[in-house]
Amino acid sequence: MIQLFHVSKFYDRCVALDDVSFRIDKGECVILTGPSGAGKTTLLKVIFGAETPDAGQILVQNRNVARLRGGAIPYLRRTMGIVLQNFQLLPKKTVYDNVVLPLIIQGVKRREARERVMDVLKAVGMEHKQKIRTDVLSAGEQQRICIARAIVNSPILLLADEPTGNLDAELTVEIVELFKRIQTEGTTILLATHNRQVVEQMNGRVLQLQEGRVVSDEERPS
Amino acid sequence: MMRWLYLLREAMTNLHVNRGNVLIGIVTTAFTLVCFGAFVLLYLNLKSVTGTLQGDVEVVVYLDPGASDQVASMVQKRLETEPATVTLTFVSQEQALREFSQQFPEESLLLEGMNANPLPASVIVNVSPRFLDTESLSAFAERVKQLPGVTHVAYSQDWVDTLTLVVSYFELGAVVIGMILAMATVTIIASTVRLSLHTRKEEIEILRLIGATGAFIAIPYVIEGTILGAVGGGLSLALLKGIFEFFRLELNASGWFAGVEHLLPIFPGRVSFLLVMTGMLLGCGSSVLSVFGLMKARQ
Repeated sequence: MIQLFHVSKFYDRCVALDDVSFRIDKGECVILTGPSGAGKTTLLKVIFGAETPDAGQILVQNRNVARLRGGAIPYLRRTMGIVLQNFQLLPKKTVYDNVVLPLIIQGVKRREARERVMDVLKAVGMEHKQKIRTDVLSAGEQQRICIARAIVNSPILLLADEPTGNLDAELTVEIVELFKRIQTEGTTILLATHNRQVVEQMNGRVLQLQEGRVVSDEERPS
Repeated sequence: MMRWLYLLREAMTNLHVNRGNVLIGIVTTAFTLVCFGAFVLLYLNLKSVTGTLQGDVEVVVYLDPGASDQVASMVQKRLETEPATVTLTFVSQEQALREFSQQFPEESLLLEGMNANPLPASVIVNVSPRFLDTESLSAFAERVKQLPGVTHVAYSQDWVDTLTLVVSYFELGAVVIGMILAMATVTIIASTVRLSLHTRKEEIEILRLIGATGAFIAIPYVIEGTILGAVGGGLSLALLKGIFEFFRLELNASGWFAGVEHLLPIFPGRVSFLLVMTGMLLGCGSSVLSVFGLMKARQ
């Protein structure tokens, strides 16, 4: 599914990623952890093509992301779901309009799009708020909408960068449960977090980054 | 279908959210197109008058008042052999006097006191368009002047030539002014679209994140620019139409163009089409320029 070979990334003279290599198989759930500035966000960004590595190769479903041209990046992202810490929702649009957007971009027909949106809204427990604007929702609700939008096109890979960063402990549990449910459906997940609570609650492998290097790769029994 | 509806709706939202700047863009586009359109209209009207007058250039060959019918007939035969001649009309002395009296009834009293008719007979030669340039016409006139019984040859080419020169200056002026105004319009519409892009920067980032291509992101802005240009073009059309209707009324009242008003197209339909299309093209082109970076960006 994902393979990184000796990936390095520098910002000016600062090392963001230093010779990172690992492999994630289909259906696997990997928690990427480490302190702030360890390179978690940069690692996710090179995987979804927002940053180009200075060295190394990244294979996502046998496509070399490091060598993809700008025009091919959107098509790569359509195979992924991306959830970020700061929600990234369109504030003046309704819940439904936000979640349906990836399907509009991909040219899915209206009826099919509606069915799929309603399914994922039900899965994240937000079907009753479909007509409400996202800027009036609570932080936990907004993150659930982000997750719904990320999974609406049935991605093969779900990337999440600090998805509970803006949430309190109670809401964090809710979101972790949601990720666990998505994982059981066979979606490959790569979740970056420095939150110990999330690391402990999630099943799967834990990759620890420090100063841009992978310092431990621990498989935990589920 | 859903995709196009979404893109159109986004363009309308852009126009609504950015309405202050959009309004400025529309007014500026309309103003520049009014200037450009006025120039084009002046040029077209002048060209039409010149073209019609050029087509009507006649050479009048005046005959000696004492010339016999035989001489007159010989001159006509000789003129018929000239390649520049299309048609010939013989005007006898009596006919010339009648026409003079009809055209200038007050001055005709002066002629009544004379014993003999002082007006000469003439042959009016309608010249082929191929020989309407100054050189051919003067060569033709020189040849005709040598014929026995011919006293004078007159033609109205000089002022038509001057008018043609003025029209060619107008043509050049229209191109130069058009280019300057087009650049101004492009700058203004491009700024409006760029402002629109700036206010929706976060939204664009989100769209990129979920797999929107540069074209998908850019299309609403291109539609926005095109609509802005088309509305500007439409407004300029309305303004110009008003100005030229007023001009037409003034023209008729002043009597300046009496006799040639039928030659003035004033406001041909193609100018309306040209203005709206130019507005749309300028709007579309400016927005494409503004969003060009989006199409290529990796992030």
